[in-house]
Amino acid sequence: MVDLLQQVFNGLVSGSFYALLALGLAVIFGMLGVVNFAHGAFYMLGAFGTYILLDSWGLGFWVALLVVPPVLFVLGLVLERTLVHRLRELDPLYGFLLTFGVTLILQDLVRREYGVQSQPYQAPSALSGSVDFGLFDYPTYQVFVLVFSVATCVLVWLLFTRTRVGVVVRAATERAELTRALGIDVGRWVTPVFGFGIALAGLAGVLAAPMRAITPLMGADLIIVVFAVVVIGGLGSIFGSVVAGFVVGMLQAVANLYVPALSQTLVFVLMAAVLLWRPAGLFGREERVA
Amino acid sequence: MIARRLGLGWLAVGLAAAVALPWLVYPPVALDIACWALFAVALDLLLGFTGLLSFGHAAFWGSSAYATGLVAIHTGLPFPVAVLAGAVVAMVLAVPIGVLSVRRTGIYFAMVTLAFAQTVYFGANQWRSVTGGENGLQGVPRELGGVDLSDPFVFYYFALPLVLAGLFAAWRVVRSPFGRVLVAIRDNPARVRALGYPVERYEVLAIVLSAGLAGVAGGLFAVGHGFASLQEVYWTTSGKVVIMTVLGGIGTLWGAAIGAALLVLVEDQLATAGFDGINLVTGLVFVVVVLLFRRGIVGTVRHLLRSRRGRGLPDPEPGVEPASAPEVEPVR
Amino acid sequence: MRKRTTRALAVAATGAVVLAGCGRGGPGGGDDEKVTGGKLVLAVLNDQSGIYADLSGKNAVTAVQMAVDDFKARHADKAVAAEIEVVSADHQNKPDIANSKAQELYDRQGAAVILDVPTSSAALAVATQAKQKKKLYLNVTAATTELTGAQCNKYTFHYAYDTWMLANGTGRTVTEQGGKTWYIVYPDYAFGQDMQKSFTAAIKAAGGSVVAADPTPFPNDNFSTFLLKAPTLSPKPAVLGTMQAGGDLVNLVKQYNEFKLREKGVDLAVGLMFITDIHSLGPDAFAGTTFTDAWYWNFDKQNREWADKFQAKTGTRPSFAHAGDYSAATQYLEAVQRAGTDNSDEVVKALEGYKFSDFFARNAEIRAADHSVVHDVYLAKVKSKAQVTEDWDYEEILKTIPASEAFRPAAESGCSMGG
Repeated sequence: MVDLLQQVFNGLVSGSFYALLALGLAVIFGMLGVVNFAHGAFYMLGAFGTYILLDSWGLGFWVALLVVPPVLFVLGLVLERTLVHRLRELDPLYGFLLTFGVTLILQDLVRREYGVQSQPYQAPSALSGSVDFGLFDYPTYQVFVLVFSVATCVLVWLLFTRTRVGVVVRAATERAELTRALGIDVGRWVTPVFGFGIALAGLAGVLAAPMRAITPLMGADLIIVVFAVVVIGGLGSIFGSVVAGFVVGMLQAVANLYVPALSQTLVFVLMAAVLLWRPAGLFGREERVA
Repeated sequence: MIARRLGLGWLAVGLAAAVALPWLVYPPVALDIACWALFAVALDLLLGFTGLLSFGHAAFWGSSAYATGLVAIHTGLPFPVAVLAGAVVAMVLAVPIGVLSVRRTGIYFAMVTLAFAQTVYFGANQWRSVTGGENGLQGVPRELGGVDLSDPFVFYYFALPLVLAGLFAAWRVVRSPFGRVLVAIRDNPARVRALGYPVERYEVLAIVLSAGLAGVAGGLFAVGHGFASLQEVYWTTSGKVVIMTVLGGIGTLWGAAIGAALLVLVEDQLATAGFDGINLVTGLVFVVVVLLFRRGIVGTVRHLLRSRRGRGLPDPEPGVEPASAPEVEPVR
Repeated sequence: MRKRTTRALAVAATGAVVLAGCGRGGPGGGDDEKVTGGKLVLAVLNDQSGIYADLSGKNAVTAVQMAVDDFKARHADKAVAAEIEVVSADHQNKPDIANSKAQELYDRQGAAVILDVPTSSAALAVATQAKQKKKLYLNVTAATTELTGAQCNKYTFHYAYDTWMLANGTGRTVTEQGGKTWYIVYPDYAFGQDMQKSFTAAIKAAGGSVVAADPTPFPNDNFSTFLLKAPTLSPKPAVLGTMQAGGDLVNLVKQYNEFKLREKGVDLAVGLMFITDIHSLGPDAFAGTTFTDAWYWNFDKQNREWADKFQAKTGTRPSFAHAGDYSAATQYLEAVQRAGTDNSDEVVKALEGYKFSDFFARNAEIRAADHSVVHDVYLAKVKSKAQVTEDWDYEEILKTIPASEAFRPAAESGCSMGG
């Protein structure tokens, strides 16, 4: 029983990364209709940024947490303005292909600079050690990751439902024409929202740095799983993507315990099941074409 | 009339190039070009003519590579039979994948195919007693009666007829009434449905045909290399063939072959020169093509020729949707 | 119109037949044999841009070049080949690329021998090519025992290490030193499975037991499942044996430290570790870990001398792979010298049964039965950062395992040298 509880907790932690990345992906898709293949690459840049801050400037984890997401926000703005923007009027297929090309470029640039060996990064000392949950204890840092991720998701949810800015963006996402008809300039929100999604990916990268191997390809296989997660949750649904992220994380961890051979295929099997039973995803409503 | 003559002229040029290839480049590279060309053309059948972006086509190329290899190793049948067997396996695999994938459209379809291909990848990895897992399937023989095919130069000429047959099949499909329905589906699925066609069934059939051709290509690749590995079912292979098709020109069919030849040659040159950054170059090429040359090489050439001749017919870029009211498609 | 079509097609078809029939003058056809006294080509096939780029990579090419230069200096005018060239290729740790590159090196570049080749799957692919092309292949950097076992062939030799040697070194010694109960974690692919089998056998032979053995996905960056499981097993394992390599190992060790398993009484033994891994994470992450190394640059004066020469050329200290490549290249060249020709069969005869001792392979013999090159190996312990006196000085050698004990006995290899 304790084993299982530990594993579920474990799964929630790895689910945090899925959820954060799925959230960013869903936000970008909702606003731009673009499926950002480069999302994994920006996650990787977030982790590398964290490493570089420490390695080159001696700035630790907490600074990275504050500095890296905004930097990636700006990077996202630049990317959208220069490249993605030009494909706005076209088939979203092109946005997908463009971001795929960007992924190859970013990964190779980082690889040429830093090689493929993973870079060392320790968790901040304030978060070292473990937390005793009575039945089991767990590394403090991972507990922090879980709490922080959940808090971020909740914050983003509140942002979208309670603040005026958020409501406008959501309206622009789901009913663009209607929103325009009400006199709201939808276009000006596109770039900042893209940047915001990228910043979320970067945030996930910062959180991953002390826990995962920091390598140029760290986002590459992850992004494919995240794609499956958002299909399961429903690409149009922000809530669905986050929930699916945590659920998939948990299921994978439990599968790792009982049927390790299948744990990697699991998410794709789930995806097939969702497609058969509920093609819009668990929480999706309708399929949107930009 | 003129068009037909020009068309025949291009055909002769293409055939001559195909025949002369092993004289111009290192023969194994020539074989690679031929295989990838067929693979890319198969993808274009789906992407350019049916409007479906499959980002998981490696599942078909790779599963056929393994199946062909296994048949060749365990039965010693002539390699064309093994390749055909591989293609059949790919087509059988394409049925469930196709049926499930067409429940989504557009970019969802791409993501779903990508995820299915990953499933095939993990499956191949797990089933290592059969596929060899990480080690790959080694020692795939080249049998053809008693003919000695060990020289890659010779093997190319025996493989070429199969490749040409596949290309010819693709061409016939595109020219057939079935092909016209596919194009109609690409342009306006709702209208086609209104006309009473079972759209999903046509799409699945297109996927199966495309998988079959990709299977022929993958099977030849395996026999040519004597090897089938997990790389053949990995998503980067799916990405590579998409790049080739886009580079050559979506919806031009032959553009895909040219894109394939170009990419394989460039990669070979870079590797031989010891350049470290092939992915960087590939990514850059891709970004440039998607931003500026969406018609691809052949598409741009055709466009230039047409505008020069002042035909005045509309020549829209492939897959462009009018920037009007956003469509909300019903879920199938 | 139809006449024109037919004519065009007929011309094309005839042209095709003529060209195809016209002999095969294209590159790749024709004569592969190198004329003795002409040019000898040594090829280094390894990973130059991926996880093993530091382990061997481009510096391995330098090491082989050093061997060539030293050979020429040693033999001067009497050298069997006046011109010796070193070429290299990158296989990116992929067996399909290794397969193609090996072909290319043998055919297109006229290589007489291929050296290095890390990554077991790639190593096996090259062995198949060596057998087909009847050209030599001296593997230095891969771990699979298959090279001298079920997949052995006349032209393939295996230098430096394999999973049996690792298991026997680390597994047996750690068990003998008190780590009787083991929990083995291994990556779920050929190498990992091989390691798990080898280690289990070695541990049992030394009187220990394996409480549990779990396969992990490969590659994997989250080992919490297994690390959490370790202390809860019954009986609690004294040792966690990890068979991960490269990036996976780095991840696992990171998380092992995070979960504080050592404090919980579960020690760490690493199946396969390279000095480059220690360098990558820093010695403190691995401090106290025991492992088997084929060669250490700071072991004695002889090694250090060579390491200094190497450092002068590359700016860094050598790993066992660099030293091994130097040694393999030297032994190949010396064998050619002895045979007086580069004819593969003659060189194989010159290599088989040859006994030698150079700075890399002490008390070595190139076994005829399975083409395994046996030599002394070392049991090492990772120093803590405080003990490290200079760059790369990470290892404390606990003991030397003599050649006669270090490698799998030829009788157990399962190799039948059919040719």
